[in-house]
Amino acid sequence: MAKRVLIVDDAIFMRNMIKDIFSGSGFEVVGEAANGLEAVEKFKELKPDLTTMDIVMPFKSGIEATREIIKSDAKAVIVMCSALGQESLVMEAIEAGASDFIVKPFKSEDVLSVVKKVLGDA
Amino acid sequence: MALDLTKYLSLFVAEAGEHLAGFSGDLVRLEKAKASGGPGMAQAIDSMFRHAHSVKGMAGSMQLEGITAFAHQVEDLVDVFRKDPGRLDAAAVDLLLAAGDALVVMVQAAAAGTNPSPDLALQGRLIDATRRRPEPRLAAEPEPMRPSVAPERPGPGEVEARDAGAVDLQAEPVRAVPARPEPPRPEPAARTVRRVEAQVEIAGSCPVPAVRGFLVVKKLSSLGTVTGSAPSQDELRAGRIPGKKLTVFLETPETLQTLERALSQISDIAGVVLRAAELPQAQAPASAPAPAAAGQKAEGEGSRTVRVRTEILDAFLDAVGELILATARIREIGKTLPVASRAPLDEGVDRLHAIVKDLHDKVMAVRMTPLALVTERLPRAARDVARRLGKQVDVDVRGAEIELDRAILEELADPFLHVLRNAVDHGIEAPHLRLLAGKPATGRLTVHARRERDRVIVEFGDDGKGMDPTKLRAAAVARGAHTASEVAALTDREALLLATLPGVSTAETVTDVSGRGVGLDAVRKTVESMGGALELESSLGQGARVVFRLPLTVAVQPVLLVRVGEEILGLPIAKVHGAAQVGLSRLDRTRGAPVLAYDGELVPVHDLTRLLGLPGDGGDERAVVVAEGAEGRIGLAVDALLGQQEAVLKPLAQPLDAVPGLSAVTVLGSGRPVFILDVPRLLAA
Repeated sequence: MAKRVLIVDDAIFMRNMIKDIFSGSGFEVVGEAANGLEAVEKFKELKPDLTTMDIVMPFKSGIEATREIIKSDAKAVIVMCSALGQESLVMEAIEAGASDFIVKPFKSEDVLSVVKKVLGDA
Repeated sequence: MALDLTKYLSLFVAEAGEHLAGFSGDLVRLEKAKASGGPGMAQAIDSMFRHAHSVKGMAGSMQLEGITAFAHQVEDLVDVFRKDPGRLDAAAVDLLLAAGDALVVMVQAAAAGTNPSPDLALQGRLIDATRRRPEPRLAAEPEPMRPSVAPERPGPGEVEARDAGAVDLQAEPVRAVPARPEPPRPEPAARTVRRVEAQVEIAGSCPVPAVRGFLVVKKLSSLGTVTGSAPSQDELRAGRIPGKKLTVFLETPETLQTLERALSQISDIAGVVLRAAELPQAQAPASAPAPAAAGQKAEGEGSRTVRVRTEILDAFLDAVGELILATARIREIGKTLPVASRAPLDEGVDRLHAIVKDLHDKVMAVRMTPLALVTERLPRAARDVARRLGKQVDVDVRGAEIELDRAILEELADPFLHVLRNAVDHGIEAPHLRLLAGKPATGRLTVHARRERDRVIVEFGDDGKGMDPTKLRAAAVARGAHTASEVAALTDREALLLATLPGVSTAETVTDVSGRGVGLDAVRKTVESMGGALELESSLGQGARVVFRLPLTVAVQPVLLVRVGEEILGLPIAKVHGAAQVGLSRLDRTRGAPVLAYDGELVPVHDLTRLLGLPGDGGDERAVVVAEGAEGRIGLAVDALLGQQEAVLKPLAQPLDAVPGLSAVTVLGSGRPVFILDVPRLLAA
């Protein structure tokens, strides 16, 4: 069965790009969120197998959102989408419970490899 | 030249004070245990012995001979009871309590820079009691007591005569692997915990190897206790991981296969070598891993503590508060820059904000202190008051492990004591009256604490005669605080709060314990000044309850900023349920006041402009914030929502602190001061 994915990023083009990577590879993108607030709501509503999470977003950061999601579901699998130079933020996200991270700019193979590993499908 | 001992003095005073508080707490527990037939007696005596022994050792290192000699005498007497608990009677408990108090006084004198001498009369009584031969009918020991012999063996878990005042740093370095076998210690339950050394190599292609390494450490720490790593977590945080190689030391009940599987889910790892560094003699079947060793973790943490003066923690918090304000200020300044050059600054400020926030969380975590710090002395205090008044009470403290910010705890010490004394003095009846009322002769006081979301609730209950709303109404009128018609309009529950007005008390006699009516109003002020609330409940003849609703922390809280006319105001997010955009004229007014249907509930809507007496009229289309009022949700109509912000709350100074409806003030990044609304009391204003 296809794994269900929630994509969180404030940039539409990033969401589209990530969506394309997943859609062609046996995943089902079940939802998108443009900020941390929406992310928490959508997560609770959709219960995805995997969430990709941007870090710097308006209203509520990806780190805050991760913390809240993990609080409601300790088993939630969240992969942070970070940029070079955000190392300390990524570590903060890991402390908050993120399972792994990918570094922008990324190639689709890299994204899929990280995601499959983290879901234990590799 | 001798060591300069003065620099250890404050630590000595603090630590000796804790031991002495523990000592008197143990005594009260001991008395109770004795009354109920003995279980727990030996434990309490052992603990008392350790406390006295520690004070002796610490005082000795501080060259405070008087305290050392006196503590030694106390220790000897406790040792007598340790060997023969049957000799412990009420007189002995009183003597030990007096001795403990004398030690407290001496330690305080030492704090003031003197080298106090013991009270010779009291010391004589201690020596007499130690030498006294057992009563003939209780004589169980054929051989005479050996007085004044310092016990050779400290109690279990005791650290022999700790170096007084020395910083209690017993952090173990990263254990060498394989570790030397530990001395046998009492195992709580049979479990197989392995020491595992994990060597991990990060792939050369990974752009951020330190972050990968950090993820590895975190992953492993979810499966056991990480006892160390090379490079350390702090080095990883700083981006250092020489050779992209990492070694993690772990104590875990999990099998190597489980660990390997967990690590295989992490990307960019070139290689993993796992080695079980030490296996218990009898290896349990790998298929039955023991549950995570929570108890063991706590035990390990206990030995890695360091004592820090509370003023330093306060200074830390203040500094972090200023950092948060400064960050907000930079963010504001950034908004005046041309859009093109703003992005890098914003990114930097975001990062700074995240770091400062993290720092703040850590400082707050360090400041969290268990409630036991202030509840520990309550049983003793209750006992003292009860004895003086010829009453009997039992105190049941629960939830003392719950943690609160130290600043709040320190404020609570006096209010708690006051409420407790009140309960013993005015609540609990004399034994014969209790028996007449069909209650057990011994009164029961409960101090129960619990967490409720972001609040800590502490309830003081008693099974005494309760508070009489009728008498309180009369007292309030007699005091001139209210007119007869005003108090007549109050419900019984509201009337109870009259007890918190200055000078109102129904105590028939003013004792030296309480009843002057200067207490509960001060308690209420203290609690409200820290953002808490005080509630009273009573049922006549059956007892009363005083409920403290306390915030976990002070200082930084998220607030929702709103605009009303020209004013900007803050609402604590903890009190906000949500917001809606509505046209006031479209609200349902069939019941008089306009109500908003929100979340399946009809919420009364108030216009904040009018409530605060501000000029202007925000028009019909308004934002309504739904918040927690004193009695359920209320809606507050405002002109606009300005967003959420972390605010450093400063208490209001006089005379503003007397304005109901305002709880604190904060300063925005722009330098503009903003009042924080006290929502529950807003409508009462």
